[in-house]
Amino acid sequence: MSEKALADSPVALLECRRINKSYNGPMVLSEVDFSMKRGEIHALVGENGAGKSTLIKIVTGVTNRNSGEMLFEGRPIGIEHSKTAAQVLGIAVIYQELSLIHGMSVAQNLFLTREPRLPGLPFIDIGKMNSLAQELIDRYGFTLKATDVIDSLSIAQRQTVEILKALNSKASLVIMDEPTSSLTSTESAQLFGIIKRLKEDGIGVLYISHRMEEVYALSDRVTVLRDGRKVAVLEKAEIHPEEIIRLMIGRKLDDRDSVHTMRKSDREVVLEVKGLSSEGKFSGIDFQLHAGEILGIGGLVGSGRTELVRALYGIDPHDSGSVEYLGKPWEPGVAGSIRGGFGFIPEERRLQGIMGLISMTGNIGITNIDVIRKMGFVSDRKELDLARKAIGLLNIKPADPSVLVGNLSGGNQQKIVVGKWLIRDLKLLIVDEPTVGIDIGAKEEMYQTFARLAEAGVSIILVSSDLPELTRISHRILVLRKGRIIKEFSEGQVTEEDVLKASSGILPGGAK
Amino acid sequence: MSDTKTVGGGGTKLLLARFRLFFILILLMAVLSVVSPRFLSLENLSNVLWSVCIIGIMCSGFIYSPITGGIDLSVGSMVALAGIIANVLMNIVHMPMLPALLLTLVFGLLVGLVNGVVTTKFRVPPFIVTMAAKTYLFGIAMFVSNGDTITIMGPKDFLSIGVGKFLGLPIPIYIMVVMIIASHILLKHTVFGRRAIAVGANEVSAKLSGVNPDSTRILAYVISSGTATVAGIVMASLTQQAYAPNAAGYEFDVITAVVIGGTSLLGGSGSVAGALIGAVMVGFINNGLNLMNMPASFHPLVTGIVILIALILNQGFTLPAWMKPKKRAAGGQA
Ligand SMILES: Nc1ncnc2c1ncn2[C@@H]1O[C@H](COP(=O)(O)OP(=O)(O)OP(=O)(O)O)[C@@H](O)[C@H]1O
Ligand SMILES: [Mg+2]
Repeated sequence: MSEKALADSPVALLECRRINKSYNGPMVLSEVDFSMKRGEIHALVGENGAGKSTLIKIVTGVTNRNSGEMLFEGRPIGIEHSKTAAQVLGIAVIYQELSLIHGMSVAQNLFLTREPRLPGLPFIDIGKMNSLAQELIDRYGFTLKATDVIDSLSIAQRQTVEILKALNSKASLVIMDEPTSSLTSTESAQLFGIIKRLKEDGIGVLYISHRMEEVYALSDRVTVLRDGRKVAVLEKAEIHPEEIIRLMIGRKLDDRDSVHTMRKSDREVVLEVKGLSSEGKFSGIDFQLHAGEILGIGGLVGSGRTELVRALYGIDPHDSGSVEYLGKPWEPGVAGSIRGGFGFIPEERRLQGIMGLISMTGNIGITNIDVIRKMGFVSDRKELDLARKAIGLLNIKPADPSVLVGNLSGGNQQKIVVGKWLIRDLKLLIVDEPTVGIDIGAKEEMYQTFARLAEAGVSIILVSSDLPELTRISHRILVLRKGRIIKEFSEGQVTEEDVLKASSGILPGGAK
Repeated sequence: MSDTKTVGGGGTKLLLARFRLFFILILLMAVLSVVSPRFLSLENLSNVLWSVCIIGIMCSGFIYSPITGGIDLSVGSMVALAGIIANVLMNIVHMPMLPALLLTLVFGLLVGLVNGVVTTKFRVPPFIVTMAAKTYLFGIAMFVSNGDTITIMGPKDFLSIGVGKFLGLPIPIYIMVVMIIASHILLKHTVFGRRAIAVGANEVSAKLSGVNPDSTRILAYVISSGTATVAGIVMASLTQQAYAPNAAGYEFDVITAVVIGGTSLLGGSGSVAGALIGAVMVGFINNGLNLMNMPASFHPLVTGIVILIALILNQGFTLPAWMKPKKRAAGGQA
C-alpha cells in the first residue's frame, strides 16, 4: 500500500480493546478501550495514578498488558510486546524524563544505532551524520546545531531533539508524557507549533497533560481515564475544560479569576536579603520576606530563580551580599537551614527529590530524621506515623507507606517530595515548581495547604513557571530577568500577562 | 527479619529474597552432603566455621561501602596487615596484648579514614582509591614481615581468642555474631544507617534533606577498614600465623557474600542478615571443594560457576522473554 492510500484508509492508527493491567496487586487498567486516528492529536487525561502512563507504557512495549487486544495500523500486537518492536512499528515516545545521552552531540543522539557508515567499512561517517542531522533540523526550522552537545541545551531544546529523533525514525505515532511540565509558556507555544506540524504530516500525536488549557487548545479528541477505567471519549466539539475536569475528578472546581490582587504584609520581617550576588547566576538581589507571606518569584527558565533559592537554602555558595534571618545575620547552609525551620522542595524530582528504590516511609523519614531520632537511633514507629501523616495530608495513592516511591505514578511521587516537608514545623518554605505533574484537583488541595501554612505564619517563597499558579497564590511577586529583579508586583491588580511581559523584559513606560 | 519492611532496600521484595536465600542455602547443603558424607560431620562443620567467621566479621563493616554506592577493595590486604602489625606490637615491641590490639585497630581505622577522605574530598573513584590501598597495604605487610610466614608464639591470651571456647562454642563465633548483630542494628535502626542508605540511593536528595554525604561515606570506609582489622586479628590468632598474602582475594569473597545476601553494588540497599547467609554459603562452597578432593587448580573455576548459579537463582528465577513459553493473548477474539 502506498503512503497516500495508507493515510486515507479507514483503519485506525492504534486500536486498543479491553486492556487489563495489574503490576502485582490491584488492577491499574480495567477493560480500557482506546483508539487513535492518523494525523490526530489525541489527549489522554486523568487524575494522578489514573493509569495514563501505564497505558502508554503498554503501547510502547515498556511493560506488558495482562490481557486485551492491541492493533497498530490494523496489525495485531502480541501480549509480549517490546520497546524495539514498538520502534520498528513506528511508535516513538518522548518520556516524562528525557532519555537523551549526555556527553553526546545532537547528531549522535539522532542517529544512535543507525549511524551512517563509510561506504564498505564498519566505521561511522561522521561528516554525513552531521549533515543529515542538520538537514533534519533545518527542515523543521529549529534553531539547533547538529554538533551541539546535549548537556549545553535547555530542557525545551532537549525535548526538540527527542521529537527530531522520533521524526528521524519515521514514526507514525508520537507519544508525549507531560511534555510541557518543565517548559515555560513560550517554549510550550513552540512545542504546540511542532505538534501541529506533525499532525499536518499525518503523524498521530498522543499527548498526556494536566494542563486543561492546552488540552482544550490543541486536541482533536480527548480520552478521560479514571481509576484505571475509560470514562469518556470527547470529540472536538465536546471538549470543554470544565467538562473534562468534571469527568476526571467527578466534581466541579470553582471558577478561577485571571486578575489577582497583590498585597503588602505588615507583619514582622523573617528574611532580609541584601545585595546577594553569585557570579554568572544572579546579582544585587534585595528583598524582604514577612511572616505568613507567600512571595512568588517569576521569570523565564534560566533567569536565575532556581539558583537564587538554592543559594538561600545554602546548597550553593554566594559571592557577596548578606542574609538576615529572624533579625540575625545568617550564613546559609543546608544543615543549618533545616535546623532553623527551612523547608526546600527542589525542581527536578527524580534527580533531587526522591529515592525510587526506597519506601515512602524511608523517603519521608530521611528528611525528618531530626524528628524521629532519639540519640543515634531512629524510632520506626514515629517514622511510620510521619509517613501516614504525609499520605493523609496530600491524599497519596496507594496509601500504603511500604510502597517503593519508584512504583508510584509521577504525580504521587511529586506529592512525596512536597509532603515530606509539609509535615514539619516550618518557618520558611522554599518551593521550586511544586506542582509539576500534579493533577488539577490535587493542585487545588496543595494551594489550600500553602494558604493554610501562610495563615499559620509560615513564609513561603514560590518559584513557578506556571503563571496561573504564580499569580493566584502569591501575595507579592518578584520577577527575575538575567539574574536581576526587574519588577516587583506588590500592590494592585496583576494578570498573568503582566508577569509574562515583565519576564520577557517588556516593562510599562518603555523601561528595558 | 520482619523489621526490614519499612526501611531502605526492597521492602517486601527483600523479605522474599531472604526466603529464597535460605532455600538456596539448604539446597547447597543438601548437594554437599550427598556429594560428601563427611560434610555434615561436626568436625567438618567446625572447620567451615572459621572461614565463615572471618568473612562474616569482614562483611559486618564492609557492607557500608556498597550501601553508600562505593566499594572497599582494600579489606583483604587489611586483614593480613592487621595480623602482622599485631604480632610486631606484641612480640617484637613487647606491648601488652590489649594496647597492642587497640593500636592495631586504630591503624585500621586510619586506613579507612584515608580511603574515605581521598574518595570524597579529592573525588577519586572508590574503586581506584581502595585498589591502591589494597596494593600499598600489601606492600607494607611484605616490608614489615620480609615476606616471611611468621608463626605467632604468644601471648597465650592472644592465642586463646582463636582457639578458646565459651559454653562449648569457639570464641570467634561470638565475635562474629556480636558484630553482625551490631551492624544489623546500625543499618536498620540508627541515624547513620538511614543516612548511608540515603546517600547510596540518591546523593542529591540526601543532601537536600540535610545529610552530609562526605562524612557519611568517610565513616563507611572507616567502619569497613575497622572490621577488616578485627577479622585480621581473629585470623592471626586462629591460624597462629601472620603472612602478607594470607587473605589475598578475601575482598572478592566478601563482595560475593554481600551480593548473594541482597546488597546492591549500585548503592541504596543492603541486608546484614543476608550477608551473613552469603558468608556461610561462600564458606560451604570453599569447603565442599576441599572435601571432594578436587585438585586445587580447579577451585577458582568451580567456585566462580557455583557463585554465578547462586546469584542467578537469587534473582528470582525470572527467565528472559525469549526463553519463556509463548502465551496466547488472554483477551481472545473480539
Ligand atoms: N512499576 C510499578 N509497579 C507497581 N505499581 C505501579 C508501577 N507503575 C505504576 N504503578 C501504579 O499504577 C497506577 C497508575 O500509575 P500511572 O503511572 O499509570 O498513573 P498516571 O495516570 O500516569 O498518573 P500521573 O498523572 O501521576 O503521572 C498507580 O497507582 C501506580 O502506583
Ligand atoms: Mg504519569
